[in-house]
Amino acid sequence: MNSRLDPPPTTVVTGATGWLGTALLHALTAEGARWGRPGRIRALVHRASEVLVTARISPRIDPVVADITRPRSLTQVFSDLEPGSFDVVHTAGIIHPPDVATFERVNAQGTRNVLQAARAAGVRRFVHVSSNSPFGTNPIPSEYFRREEPYAPYFGYGISKMEAELLVRDSIDDGLDAVIVRPPWFYGPHQPARQTTFFTMVRTGRFPIVGDGRQRRSMVYVDHLVQGVVLAELVERPMYRAWWIADREPYPLEHVIQTVGEALRAEGYEVAENSLRVPAFVGRFAEAADRVIQKSGRYVTQVHVLGEMDKTIAVDVSAAVDDLGYDPDTSLLDGMRRSIRWCRARGITL
Amino acid sequence: MALLTVLHAPFADVLIAHDMPGLPAARRARSVDFAVGRIALMPGPTRVGVDLIAVAVRALMVVLGGARTVRLLAPVTLPLLGEYVRLHRSLAYAYVWETWPDTAVDGTPA
Amino acid sequence: MNTADALPTRCEVLVVGSGAGGATTAAVLAEAGIDVVVVEEGEWIAQGEIVPFSLEQMERQYRSGGVTVALGRPGIAYTEGRCVGGGTEINSGLYRRPPADVLDRWRDQYGIADFAPEEFDSIADEVEEELSVRTVPGAVTPSSGLLRDGSDALGWRQSEIPRWMEYPEGGSATSGRRRSMTETYLPRARRAGARVVSGCRVRRLRQAGHGVVVDLEVAGARREVLADHVFVCGGAIQTPALLQRSGLRRDVGASLAIHPTVKLSARFPDEVNVGDDVPVHQVKEFAPNLSFGGSASHPGLLALALSDEWPKFGQVVESWRHMSVFYAAITSEGRGRVDALPGFQDPVVTYRLTRRDRDLLRAGLNRLALVMLEAGATEVYPSYRGAPVVRGRRDLADLAARFSANRASVMTVHLCSTVPMGESDRCPVDSFGAVKAADRITVNDASLLPDAPGVNPQAAVMAIAIRNARHFAARRSGGRT
Repeated sequence: MNSRLDPPPTTVVTGATGWLGTALLHALTAEGARWGRPGRIRALVHRASEVLVTARISPRIDPVVADITRPRSLTQVFSDLEPGSFDVVHTAGIIHPPDVATFERVNAQGTRNVLQAARAAGVRRFVHVSSNSPFGTNPIPSEYFRREEPYAPYFGYGISKMEAELLVRDSIDDGLDAVIVRPPWFYGPHQPARQTTFFTMVRTGRFPIVGDGRQRRSMVYVDHLVQGVVLAELVERPMYRAWWIADREPYPLEHVIQTVGEALRAEGYEVAENSLRVPAFVGRFAEAADRVIQKSGRYVTQVHVLGEMDKTIAVDVSAAVDDLGYDPDTSLLDGMRRSIRWCRARGITL
Repeated sequence: MALLTVLHAPFADVLIAHDMPGLPAARRARSVDFAVGRIALMPGPTRVGVDLIAVAVRALMVVLGGARTVRLLAPVTLPLLGEYVRLHRSLAYAYVWETWPDTAVDGTPA
Repeated sequence: MNTADALPTRCEVLVVGSGAGGATTAAVLAEAGIDVVVVEEGEWIAQGEIVPFSLEQMERQYRSGGVTVALGRPGIAYTEGRCVGGGTEINSGLYRRPPADVLDRWRDQYGIADFAPEEFDSIADEVEEELSVRTVPGAVTPSSGLLRDGSDALGWRQSEIPRWMEYPEGGSATSGRRRSMTETYLPRARRAGARVVSGCRVRRLRQAGHGVVVDLEVAGARREVLADHVFVCGGAIQTPALLQRSGLRRDVGASLAIHPTVKLSARFPDEVNVGDDVPVHQVKEFAPNLSFGGSASHPGLLALALSDEWPKFGQVVESWRHMSVFYAAITSEGRGRVDALPGFQDPVVTYRLTRRDRDLLRAGLNRLALVMLEAGATEVYPSYRGAPVVRGRRDLADLAARFSANRASVMTVHLCSTVPMGESDRCPVDSFGAVKAADRITVNDASLLPDAPGVNPQAAVMAIAIRNARHFAARRSGGRT
């Protein structure tokens, strides 16, 4: 296992208002926390209205309003930073956009713009947050993605994230010190509305299990992802530069639903028995519909999610364990319980 | 064998001429003989199917002429007809490049 | 080699077929003192007489000139040996013992008695000794090295698979002589008194009280042989067809299993083409579901591999010296059928790929293409209609997106499971290959393997055939007091 760099004086985080971005901001600035660090965090936000909310997380955070799809708005993000004195953690991206063209604009072009601006300013280490989507899905439940896999992107999101990875890889070949972190389906505190919907569906017994429920999904508890990002950011002289960061083992989808139900009950909610079984062909129909919709330039979240529900997306994290000392130690049940408690603390109804 | 030749050789000939315009006539003739010979060896049930398709293709050739038939069928996307074209192509290419390995892609001898 | 005149009218045991199953059966039984006659449809051709994987070999040593297809969408090309020595005379010679978990699965799911993996170890040891199973002396061929190097660069597990070859002193990778049945078990069988008659096709079998009448054709004439017992070893296609023609139809031929493969060819900066030699390395990272290996790549076969997209790909055939053909094989969930048709000598063979099979084929081909890129390929040419030329990792996305098994050249060189063995009700033969619905007929070839083992099956076929033949010989001598 490689030794570690010191955290930089400044850490630039794109997508700071997103799920991972928010979790990172908390983790990096919490005093005495496992991944806390001294120095300043420069947080990219979309709108002026987000500045205050972000600044409130910690006095060491400097929010900056910037649009990664506009190169000019990025120059001022980096202009006053000393070369070599900052790392960039690039989490900004869009998963469920209003239309397909947005994938390319935000995920691919946006990444290109951030890469260029960061390089021009002399970034020390660039961490690119990628996804499983450039690699598609596994053909059978017992399969899983290894450290190295061929691209087989799953529709618009996958293609745009693949383009982003290729841009990062080209930059690496060109001398940039960059690493790639690939997380699958997130869960944990700071979750967005769509995850709340997921919990509600499980609580009311109406989550559609497509097929026999044995399809396996890797998931990543957001704290594990923060750990993985920080370890990848600070590993000195990495031989490989891309890692799957996820919970230690993939879960059969049926197990995920059961565990969420168990977590809800443990936190005092009444949970209806999950009775919504959907035959496998519905998943395939949704996938075909998704293809047609995206080909026409449009995007419908529910169709996309349903089309993906019967798939296995399983990854092997042993490379991160071996190279980075990655140690995901929160169980699925605990992680889900913490998510639920976070929702309750904010008055979010499940 | 004579029947097989009548059924399959004409199409094989125009197909190879289309795919490999540079292949000398003598070599093309040998390739056609080879293809017909292999079709003769095919298992009975498959052969019956292939012969039936050949009848349809011969009919097309009578109506459209050889060159137009090949242009119509060359893209290989139709079921059954496409497989017949593929069969002839597989046989011809395997034969030409095994027998004359340094043949150019258009059939021109090395 | 015996001629038709050597064909007797009576014998103790008649063995149909002289391949991996038939030859070993004949040797075991003859060495046990049994009077054995082997009838083989094909001709006798010595190793080294014909160029391996050539069109001439396909004409003389493969069934139907090699133009055999399992019908379906897509049709799946397959090959059968049809010569003395059967498939062993024409295959790659790669040898892998069946994995213990496969043997366990067969035993447990099909109820095969006395089928502990340990029993096979000693038989496999014997076979490996007899066949001279060994790795290549010295360096492997360039095309084999590509699989090894590309796999290593990705951190994917690969290994060199041994072959049954004899090498001369100081020999190299391509100087081996194949230890096929004509070099090993058939001479043994003949030395022990067995007669081997070639050019002899069995039409059907007829039970007749105290024996089996074997109705056959040899040198253009119809003949009959009365045998006390018949061993049917014609391979996974001919064996069920013969049984069906002989009135034994129940559960026969309905469970054909294969290892479907898709392929690609790749061009490299160096000259890597070794013509008739097959790479000995296989990528086993994704076993048992996926396995990658190399194919014979002489120019004719290369042209064939490029033919699916000839307008775009054909040009590169002129660089054949820099190219080699590789395949991705899967374990298939699907199954096929062999059905004898009245009025035809050959059966109809069909096979159906499932959706999972198709997805696996796609994933396999894509991963194999990545191995090629990592091995230094400048271009990769996947063998399916509509395929892109792959020059870098980005193109793999197109390879995956455009792939359809229906437009690919899917083929298999392994066929088995059409007459699965076991005590289970779905098995038409028992734990030792004896046909349940008839006396005096035993199956002893790849048809017996209950499903496709995920590795080259010859080792399993031989070990099982020897086991079954010994069982038969022991019971026969026991009953003869």
